[in-house]
Amino acid sequence: MLSFKIAVKNLIGAGLKTWLNVFVLSLSFVMIIFYNSMIDGWNKQAETDTIAWEIGQGQIWEKDYDPYDPYSLIDAHAVIPPELKNQATKGDVVPILITQASVYPQGRMQNILLKGIPTDQQLLDLPTAELSDEGETTPAIIGRRMSEATKLKQGDRVLLRWRDKNGTFDAQEILITKVFENNVPSIDAGQVWIPLASLQEMTGMTDEATLLVVGDDYQPVADANWEFKSIGFLLADMRAIIETKKGSAAIMYLLLLGIALLAIFDTQVLSIFRRQKEIGTYVALGMTRGQVVKLFTIEGGAHSLFAAALGALYGIPLFIYLNKVGIPMPAGTDSAGLPISSEIIPVYGLGLVVGTILLVVLSATIVSYMPARKIARMKPTEALKGKIQ
Amino acid sequence: MNHASIISIQHMTKRFPVGKGEFTALNDINLEFGEGEFAGLVGPSGSGKTTLLNIIGSLDTPSEGTATVMGQDISTLSHKASALLRNQHIGFIFQSYNLLPVYTVFENVEFALLLQNRSASERKKAVLDALEWVGLTDKMTSKPAMLSGGEGQRVAIARAMVKRPKILLADEPSANLDAQNSHQILKTMKALNRELKTTFIFSTHDEKVMQYLDRIISLEDGKVVSDVEKAAAAL
Ligand SMILES: Nc1ncnc2c1ncn2[C@@H]1O[C@H](COP(=O)(O)OP(=O)(O)OP(=O)(O)O)[C@@H](O)[C@H]1O
Ligand SMILES: [Mg+2]
Repeated sequence: MLSFKIAVKNLIGAGLKTWLNVFVLSLSFVMIIFYNSMIDGWNKQAETDTIAWEIGQGQIWEKDYDPYDPYSLIDAHAVIPPELKNQATKGDVVPILITQASVYPQGRMQNILLKGIPTDQQLLDLPTAELSDEGETTPAIIGRRMSEATKLKQGDRVLLRWRDKNGTFDAQEILITKVFENNVPSIDAGQVWIPLASLQEMTGMTDEATLLVVGDDYQPVADANWEFKSIGFLLADMRAIIETKKGSAAIMYLLLLGIALLAIFDTQVLSIFRRQKEIGTYVALGMTRGQVVKLFTIEGGAHSLFAAALGALYGIPLFIYLNKVGIPMPAGTDSAGLPISSEIIPVYGLGLVVGTILLVVLSATIVSYMPARKIARMKPTEALKGKIQ
Repeated sequence: MNHASIISIQHMTKRFPVGKGEFTALNDINLEFGEGEFAGLVGPSGSGKTTLLNIIGSLDTPSEGTATVMGQDISTLSHKASALLRNQHIGFIFQSYNLLPVYTVFENVEFALLLQNRSASERKKAVLDALEWVGLTDKMTSKPAMLSGGEGQRVAIARAMVKRPKILLADEPSANLDAQNSHQILKTMKALNRELKTTFIFSTHDEKVMQYLDRIISLEDGKVVSDVEKAAAAL
């Protein structure tokens, strides 16, 4: 406690240099928390959006379905078992049929995934009600990304070409009835949604589906042809990719932290060199060398406590503000096809804050201790003369 | 000597490694100091005055022979034990004052007591007493940088004396002071010597200091060449 009081006094007495070190250190505090909370926030938002738009409470896949292999779609469809069909009627599961197709916006061919979905489904946020209007032309909805890529807008008609279940090509016009805003590229880019019934009829796959999205009231059904995939399984890849973003962000703030620690180390080395007489005086006054080492270690380490306080001073208002308005993501930050919204609401975990404080305090104390050890080897008589090189 | 001996130095030699050889800074010293003495080590530069004070203050150890301070053999003390000895019984005054720059006058003086874990009220009383001894009560809240040389050295005296040590070691305390200030601090120290029975040992070249001393020990090339009590010195 005594050491701490003396250390803090010395540190404040050192003036500007202390505050420079403290400021840089506080920046790394704030950056660490900012980056990690942003990525945690992104993760959370991406999960929420993916659940709301794509995976619900899990999915049931036809056994051949492999989302990473479009050719699997040729076989990955089967008649929906009666128990599931029952639940689909009640709206507890939503069947989706997927097939490869192409559209010809402005005469240029583009391969797409054509997805059929019940128009009256409520489980996913997709505006499938827009598919229910019964006109001459099959209605279709597309996401913002698809719209940007193809220049297709609401009210446009476009030629659609697909194969039926026998492999025979067929073509017809579809009408874009809605371009929907969303954060989830995997239900948007390169995809066209039409009514399930239409797609089943067009392909001759009556009553068939590729997968079913399940809701809260889903009752498990055992069927060798259909496999249940949990939320955890469906989100695993996305979580892993977002976590790697933490790694690349870490380089940024670890660099900053490194600079701050180097500055503290440098300050320590210099102050131990310049303050030999003071060190000798402490020993003459009856401090043990161990106490003096401790004093200088605490003095260096206390930078981190000041930094935590200073960081809190401007960090907390900043974080509260960001929590209100979100961190704006520049348009087109569709990172690696992962769901990302235009604003991310950061998530501040207790673990993150406590962990950051521990990391910074510990590392600052270590870099302060390293040069301070030298004091223990000093001869007090030499220190008093101030002659140690 | 009719005082109880609190420092006893016997056949004490101090050598420093210099290059490949050794340099003998103190050579077969035999000295006794009693309680309440007001003694000075005089001699030319390099004669070993500072070296001797450092050993008495347990900042350094003898190479041969013994130095016993307050009944403790300096050579055998651990770091902790020697720190405790200094903390409790020995005050230092340096030529360059060595005040802690970030502390006020009050805090500088209080520092010695903080190391003794005394209570705040005890500390306050003792510090105010010490500042009164040296006549600096009105500079209590000043920082060392704002003090004159004489004031700085008086703070150093207060810091050394506040814990009422048995022994006060002063290495050329007047070297940086003008005549008037030198006389003033010597008078202050003499008064404290009488009042508190502290043993004072100076090292000095300064004639002004010598006239206050009760005992003058002359060193030359690390040897005691004369050891004279006041009656004779005053001659
Ligand atoms: N650590 C050391 N290593 C080598 N030699 C030393 C060391 N300390 C002191 N000496 C030598 O010992 C001798 C005595 O030094 P000391 O400092 O005790 O002299 P002094 O009488 O105090 O001189 P001054 O009046 O100049 O202060 C000097 O010759 C000095 O060079
Ligand atoms: Mg000297």
